[in-house]
Amino acid sequence: VSRQTVISIEGSRYLPSLPLAFVIARFFDMTVDKIFDPADEEAGT
Amino acid sequence: MMRFIRPRLRKPVGIALAGTVYAAAWLVHGGNGWLWAIVTEVGVIAFAISTYVRGGRDSDEDALAGSRGDERQQLIAQRSWALAGKVTMFAAFAGVTIAVAAGASSWWPFAVTFGVTGFGYLLGLSNYGVGEEVPADDANDGPQMRSLVSH
Repeated sequence: VSRQTVISIEGSRYLPSLPLAFVIARFFDMTVDKIFDPADEEAGT
Repeated sequence: MMRFIRPRLRKPVGIALAGTVYAAAWLVHGGNGWLWAIVTEVGVIAFAISTYVRGGRDSDEDALAGSRGDERQQLIAQRSWALAGKVTMFAAFAGVTIAVAAGASSWWPFAVTFGVTGFGYLLGLSNYGVGEEVPADDANDGPQMRSLVSH
């Protein structure tokens, strides 16, 4: 995954595909819903 | 065939091949065509080299030029091609309409472009399974959309 894509995901400008979301969650040893929670996006956190 | 070529070389090689075929067409044309063939070939080789150089840089466009785009960059490319198709459809429609209204005899290239682009769209619909009516129980048996992510 490119640097630009990581920045886009961090800035909530791009939602990754499910396989990539699972790879990211595995990397941080967390669950997908902890990282990509729509409620967090709406709250602006 | 392109899979046997290193990713960074794929686009430059494709550009060089297409340009060489176009230059050969000028040679077949005869007359002063050889001059255009040389100009075309030099320009295409320069463009292919610049594409190769860009392929090593760090931006979305350069990653696509180097055939190493990730899923977001491939999505950008897909959207760009979709926009190009829409623009082509619109331009061809405008062209054929104006040519017919003006009584020009050269209306048919616009009609062919319009038809081919429309056919490409229909081909895409059938290829990517939009027209498939798979019963829910057999959903896993039918063709499925592939993720952009490849592992």
